[in-house]
Amino acid sequence: MKRTTRQGGSGIGTGSVVPAENRAPREPDVKERRKLAGTWLKELRQRAGLSQIELADRLGFKYYTFVSQIENGFGRVPTESMEAWARNVGADPAKFTRELLSHYEPELYRLLFEVKK
Amino acid sequence: MTVVKFPLAPAVTGAQLPPAELRRVINACGESIASGAASGWEIGETECGDPQIYLIGPPPDFDCILSISRMGNLYVLEDGSGRILFEHDDPVLLTERAMAALRRRKSAITARIAVAWCALREAVEEKTDAMLEESMELLTHLAPQVVCLA
Repeated sequence: MKRTTRQGGSGIGTGSVVPAENRAPREPDVKERRKLAGTWLKELRQRAGLSQIELADRLGFKYYTFVSQIENGFGRVPTESMEAWARNVGADPAKFTRELLSHYEPELYRLLFEVKK
Repeated sequence: MTVVKFPLAPAVTGAQLPPAELRRVINACGESIASGAASGWEIGETECGDPQIYLIGPPPDFDCILSISRMGNLYVLEDGSGRILFEHDDPVLLTERAMAALRRRKSAITARIAVAWCALREAVEEKTDAMLEESMELLTHLAPQVVCLA
């Protein structure tokens, strides 16, 4: 699946420049996290041997376009569909939801599941 | 017998929207991008090669506001939650619906901001009223003592 970005100004600031080797490893931003979630969902579906059309059909969606939207990183799996989505791709619903939460709501995930050092 | 070969309709081969259609959609989204209700748009495609356009919302969430997909000759307009807003084979009608959906969204956001503002004002007023009452009470206690000392 190809993605092409076309948008207006990206609003990049002009702060001080820190050499790349001195920079702390950057946390992925919201868009990147959603794309990572999409890639993970796509891998799960493909491992389950389903096409986007088949998965959408099993989830009761009229069109498969929403599955594509999510896998391309432009949407979230709706909470009400998470369990069915997980079961249809052969995943444990709790683990599936937890993984998605780590991508969609990283701060909430950190508060809920990360052990304090 | 002479067979007249009519020209075929332009092949609908997925992957890319014809430039004219793309321009129309982008123009429809332009107002939202200019007003800050959207941050931009992106292009993708489905597993089957059907083209999709995503209108991306403002930061920090960058949620998809609208998605337009073309499957063969059918255009499907969905919101970011996969709710089908419109489906038709006429891209002009679809663009009109997309613009209407964006206008509705803008009104909804304005209404939400107004409600939040009212709630905040109410809360602040409640707090300041209580503080004023308290200081008035304090003043009525202190004033006679200050007068005595004077």
